[in-house]
Amino acid sequence: MIPPVISKRGFLKAAGAGFAASLLPRQADALVKTDAVFAAAFMAKDESYGVALLSEQGREISRIALPDRGHDVCFDTTSPRAVAFARRPGTFALVFDTQTGKPVKLIEAAEDRHFFGHGVFSPDGKLLYVSENDFDNYAGMIGLYDVRSGYRKVGEFPAHGMDTHDIQLIEGGRYLAIANGGIKQHPDSGRAKLNINHMEPSLVIVDLADGRLVEKHDMPDNIRQLSTRHMDMDAQGRVWFGCQFEGARNRHPQLLGSFRRGEDMRFIDIPELVLKGFDNYVGSVTVNRDAGLVAISSPQGGQWAAFETDTGKLAYEERIPGVCGLAREERLFMRSTENGEFGAAKSELAWDNHITRLR
Amino acid sequence: MRSFVWLAALLSLFLFAQPASALDDAKAKQVMTNAVDGYIRPAYKDFHEKAAALVSETGKFCAAPDEDGLKVVQARFAETVASWGHIEFLREGPVMEQNRLERILFYPDRKSTGLKQVQALLANPDDGVTDATKLKDRSVAIQGLGAFEFLFHGAYPEAIVSENDPFRCRYGLAIAGNVEIIAGELQVAWDAPDGIAKDWKNPSANNPIYRDSKEAVSALIGIAVHGVEMVRDQRIKHFYKGRDAKVSPKLAVYWRSGLTMTALAANVDGLAKFWKAADFGAIMDPDMGSLADSADFDLRAAADALDKMEQPTAERLKDDTYLKKIDFIEFNLRDAMIRIDKDVGGAVGLGAGFSFADGD
Repeated sequence: MIPPVISKRGFLKAAGAGFAASLLPRQADALVKTDAVFAAAFMAKDESYGVALLSEQGREISRIALPDRGHDVCFDTTSPRAVAFARRPGTFALVFDTQTGKPVKLIEAAEDRHFFGHGVFSPDGKLLYVSENDFDNYAGMIGLYDVRSGYRKVGEFPAHGMDTHDIQLIEGGRYLAIANGGIKQHPDSGRAKLNINHMEPSLVIVDLADGRLVEKHDMPDNIRQLSTRHMDMDAQGRVWFGCQFEGARNRHPQLLGSFRRGEDMRFIDIPELVLKGFDNYVGSVTVNRDAGLVAISSPQGGQWAAFETDTGKLAYEERIPGVCGLAREERLFMRSTENGEFGAAKSELAWDNHITRLR
Repeated sequence: MRSFVWLAALLSLFLFAQPASALDDAKAKQVMTNAVDGYIRPAYKDFHEKAAALVSETGKFCAAPDEDGLKVVQARFAETVASWGHIEFLREGPVMEQNRLERILFYPDRKSTGLKQVQALLANPDDGVTDATKLKDRSVAIQGLGAFEFLFHGAYPEAIVSENDPFRCRYGLAIAGNVEIIAGELQVAWDAPDGIAKDWKNPSANNPIYRDSKEAVSALIGIAVHGVEMVRDQRIKHFYKGRDAKVSPKLAVYWRSGLTMTALAANVDGLAKFWKAADFGAIMDPDMGSLADSADFDLRAAADALDKMEQPTAERLKDDTYLKKIDFIEFNLRDAMIRIDKDVGGAVGLGAGFSFADGD
């Protein structure tokens, strides 16, 4: 049985009182003045966890405590609400107010589910879709949470694969793209990977009207150990996906591809030296639609790079130890590292995989 | 399940630790060789031998079942459990292929899947499970040590002696045979001249597993830390979550045979021997070598304490003296984990990352 990550019933109360979640006047002013606001999960020097709101300069505006390690943050475009998800196999998701920095609601996974670290709001802000694990059946699920009833779980549908990770709304929110990493894991076995020699990664599109499977793209046999994990959508509606290769360390398959409904997935040809610089691991995928670029990062390789979404051509590359978080900026991308760098700013916080640009 | 504690500790190390000396490739290679040839391969060889002995005695018993024979089978089973316990923490390489780990021992089994399936087989015998060579194609829950335990230690064990239930014995023999086959596969894989042992001992740019010494030694440290974590979070916590929590003695591994502490003691003894054999002190500055010894001391203390522990029953899990012993074991395991990843990892210049760790 999974021990509950959140054993403290009063976490929200404690978080509000004890972690200075609400903004000080100076911070509130900073929040108003800054053009861009980013959110990212972190671990502090004292090994506590949280999610921070940051300015376009990478300066911290607010910190919100999390009961355990967080992963990604998604936000509602219709209200000042965002959700920080526990890293797998965590069982919490914290809803917080992006204007005040106050925690609003702590969502707990059902007893036989855990979260995978990602979620997305429906375009009308009424539903929250969350990638979850039905771990006893090794089946990825998409949980549906009703925002207006206090984020009550109102349903779920299959993700049509295991080790479900990132999810993305496509085509105006009619469909949901799902990245199934394909690795068999169970919380009772920690993070041990139980099927490395017969993984089942896939990219899936489901119809959100009824959860019906529309398309499923399995990885070809020769790259069956290529775990599909993170995604973002470009201006033309193509979904870009980044992979992590679980096979032999001396093989270097391509790691970045794209697909859309009705079309096969395809990989871009990253030049060999750059490809090897990712060390078979893509930790984050982010599109800058205005710039026509898609960026991927690898903390294992200590490298990030951007590619033209139209041509797949390498546009920019940079080596930064521990880089993983990426978010669009005016021309390129904001980067964060596990060593405390967030853009040009530096702190004692270790930033987790993702940056979410809230505005 | 607090899988990230050691990662958190490593992060602290990465961000805030003292400078460490560079890793010496030759010494790192020696540590890998020590671990592989000094512990892993002998441990798998022993497991294969114990499993073969279990097959042999089970075969004799099934041919002429009696009480004495049952005791011998149970003794061979205990030896097999202990032997597996000594290498169970290694969750890398061939044991992670073809579901071998789960096929040897399907645990934890929170929904009693194995029990239900074995009971169903006993109620409606299926000769398809009496062939060891074909058992691998059946449910992982019915082909390993947990299923064998139920047959030879579960409800109505006397049935197996009575000759009135030959199916139970033939099925048990097939399980033993299946475990021996898997153990043999593991031994062969680790003994192969150009196999995994060679890759582990020779990190290089073209190596399919470890491309340099840092990756290899880092993985070895991770194995030790995850191993300690397994004992604490995936074994002890299943029956004892703390003083105020509900105790669950029947969720303990091998509770039917009373071998819970035999298995746990083997787990930690195995970790201690693995750690000792690898000899991490060899890759540390001489003035820091004692850090590796400290981890060894903690593991040894926990293993010795476990070796003296009686089976965790409902009564014992309410007994303060008994619980203090478990607390002592958990304290030493926690301390060992911190010493291994923070002290030793830091001293040899390693720091597993925070964001990437083992994939996300």
